[in-house]
Amino acid sequence: MVALRFVSVLGISCCLLSGCRPARVSVPGADAEAAGTLRATLVSAPAAGAQAEESAATGTGWATLKGRFVYAGAVGEPKALVVDKDTEVCSKGGMKLFDRSLQVDPSSKGHANVVVFARKTTRVKDPVSDTPLVFDQKNCEFLSPVFAARVGQPVDVRNSDPIGHNTNIAGSSFNQLIPAGASTVYKPDSETGMPTMVTCNIHPWMKAYCVFRKDGYVAVSAADGTFTIPDLPAGEMLEFQVWHERSSGPSGAVGLSKPELKWTPKGRFQIRLDPDDVKDLGTLEVPAGALGS
Amino acid sequence: MNSLAAFPASLRCLAILAVLVGMTGCGRTPPAYFRLNMVEATKQRLTSDQERQVSTILLAMFGTPDEPVALPETGLDLAKLKLAAGPVRSDIAGRKNGLYREHCGHCHGITGDAMGPTAAFLNPYPRDYRPGVFKFKSTERSDKPTHDDLVRILHNGIPGTSMPSFALLSDVQIDALVEYVKYLSIRGETELALMRAYFELDDDAEGKLPETQEFLVAETLVPVAEKWQAAADARIAVPEMPAGLDLAVSIAKGKELFYGDKANCVKCHGPTGLGDGQANDYDDWNKAIVEIGKEVQSGLAKAGETSTSGMSADEVAEHRAQVAWLDRFGQVLTGDALRPRTIPPRNLRHGIYRGGRRPLDLYYRIHAGINGAPMPAAKGTVPPEDIWHIVNYVLSLPYEFDGELGADRTLVAQGR
Repeated sequence: MVALRFVSVLGISCCLLSGCRPARVSVPGADAEAAGTLRATLVSAPAAGAQAEESAATGTGWATLKGRFVYAGAVGEPKALVVDKDTEVCSKGGMKLFDRSLQVDPSSKGHANVVVFARKTTRVKDPVSDTPLVFDQKNCEFLSPVFAARVGQPVDVRNSDPIGHNTNIAGSSFNQLIPAGASTVYKPDSETGMPTMVTCNIHPWMKAYCVFRKDGYVAVSAADGTFTIPDLPAGEMLEFQVWHERSSGPSGAVGLSKPELKWTPKGRFQIRLDPDDVKDLGTLEVPAGALGS
Repeated sequence: MNSLAAFPASLRCLAILAVLVGMTGCGRTPPAYFRLNMVEATKQRLTSDQERQVSTILLAMFGTPDEPVALPETGLDLAKLKLAAGPVRSDIAGRKNGLYREHCGHCHGITGDAMGPTAAFLNPYPRDYRPGVFKFKSTERSDKPTHDDLVRILHNGIPGTSMPSFALLSDVQIDALVEYVKYLSIRGETELALMRAYFELDDDAEGKLPETQEFLVAETLVPVAEKWQAAADARIAVPEMPAGLDLAVSIAKGKELFYGDKANCVKCHGPTGLGDGQANDYDDWNKAIVEIGKEVQSGLAKAGETSTSGMSADEVAEHRAQVAWLDRFGQVLTGDALRPRTIPPRNLRHGIYRGGRRPLDLYYRIHAGINGAPMPAAKGTVPPEDIWHIVNYVLSLPYEFDGELGADRTLVAQGR
C-alpha cells in the first residue's frame, strides 16, 4: 500500500516536473561559427564593384503571350453557400450563391480564373496607368472572383448593393468599410507574390482573390480559359508563375507536364519571345489530379 | 513488500526529494534560445537544411535572447535591448536587467511568439509579435505603432485582457521593454520573410538563400525596419471635434450612423451593442491556424481514401511524402500553436475599451479599423465629423437607458 502511494507520488512529481504539454517537434540548431562569419560580412561595407554585374542580357522590342487553359477532370455541381445574413438582399427572390472556386465552361472545358504572371522582368513598356480599375460587389458577391492589378494603379473598390460591406485584403492591411452604393480608391503599394484572399467580414461567405504585380504582367484566364499578356519584353528569357485557387501544388502553384517550356512542379515555365511576336501556347490541359478539394 | 514502510516518514520524503533533484539536476540551466517559427517553416515545406540556414542567418542578424545583436539598419538602440534581454539579474548598483523575462516572457514567450507557459490559459491570447501586426495605435492601419503608442500600452495595460499596467516601472525600463518588443517583432518579421523567400528562389539556387548583405539586409531587413522608423511621422491627423457641438444631438446622429448602412456598426456589434452580431470570425493570428488546420484535416481525410495500388513507384513516394508532411504539420499545430479562438466583436455596453477610453482612442479605432482584427476602417467613406458622432454615441452606450431598450427585451440579454 505504502509502496503504491510512494510510486504514485513519484509519478505525479515527474509529471509536474516534465509538464503535460504536447511534445514539440525538434528544430535543427543554428551553426554558431557560420553565423559569426556571416555577421562580420553583414556589418562590413558592401564590396566595391558589386554594382557591375547588374547588366544582365536584355533584349529589345515587345511581344505578346497567349494561351488557353482547359480542365480535364470532371466538374461536380457547385456547392451552394450558406447565406444567413441580410437575406432580403443576399438571397432576394430565392436567389442562391454558389462556390466559385472551380469554373469550367461545360462545352469548351475552358478553365477560368487561372492566374499567369511574369516572375521577374527587366523592362516595362508603359508607365502605371492612372485610370482606375473597378472591383465591385453586388448581390453579396465580389464580381471578380480573381482580380489582377498593377502596383500603384488606382482600384475603385465599389459596393453596388443597397447594404453595407467591408473589403478585407489579407496581408495588405486594407480592410475598409464600403457603405451601400459607395466606393473608395485603393492603390496597392506592394506585390502580393501569389494571389491573396479578399473577404467581407460582415458576410463571411464572400470570397475573392487578388494579385498585384509591379510590372503589371499578369493575366487571369477568362470564362473560356483564354489569357493574354501583351507588351512583354522580347528577346530575353522570361519566367512565368501559374496559380489556381484549388491547385494542390505548393501555395496554389499549377504544375503541368510541359518539358518544352521547362514547366516545374512549382508552377513555373520559361519562354523567350521574339519582337512583335504573338506567341500562342495553344491549349494547356490541367489534369484532374492537379486540383485539390 | 512493506520494506519502505519500515523507514520513518521523514526519510521517505528525503528519498523523494533526492529523486527529484536527481531528475532536475544541479547543473546550470541551459541558455535560453529563440524557437524557430515552425508553423511557417512547415507551411513552406522547408527541409531541415533550410530550417538550419534560417536559424543561422537569424543568429547572425539578431543574436540570442541573452546576447542580442542589432544591425544599424534596424534603428534599434543596443543599450536599451541589453537592459531588457537576458536572465533576470541586478548589477552592482542594484539596477535590474533581464526585464523582458521578468515581466513579459511568461506570456509573450522568449521568442515573442505568444507561446509562453501561461499563454494557453489566457483569453484573449497574448500578442504574437512575429507578424509585426499591432492593434492599438495612433497610425493608419497598415503602419506600425509609434514608440509612444507602445509606451502607452505598457503604462495603461489593456483593459479587458490579461495585459496589466506596468506603470510602476521607471520610464527608462518601459522604454527598454518597448525597444525589445520592436526587436522581437523585427526579428520575427524577418524570419517570416526569409522562410517565404525559399519559394521565390530560382531553381538554380538549389534551395539555398543567398547569404549576402544585399539580400539579407537591403532586401529583407530594411523593408521591415523602415516601417518602424516611419511610424513616428505616420500619425493620423485627427480634426478637432466640431466646436459648440450639442452632445445630445451628436449622440443621436451617432446612433443613426451606428444602425445605418453607411457605418454599419450594427452588423457586428449587434442591435443591442452587446457584440452579438457577426460573432464567429477569427483574427488574423487565429485565422492562419484555423486555415492550416482545415488543410491538414482535409488532406489526411483525402489521403486515407486514396489507394496506392496502381500507382507508379514515384507516385507512391510522393503520396507517402505528402502524408508524412501532413502528420508533421498536425504535430506542429499541437506543439507550436494554441487552439484557435474566435474573436467576438466588442461588447460596447461594458465601457471597457482595450485601446484606451479617450474619445481620441475611439476615433483612431473607427478611422483606421483594428489591424489584424475584422474591424474595418471607416476613413474615406465616413467623414471625420460623422466619426466623432459615432464616438460620442459609443461612449454613451454603457449609460444609455431611454426606456426603449427595456420595452421589448431585458437590458441584458439572456445568458450574458
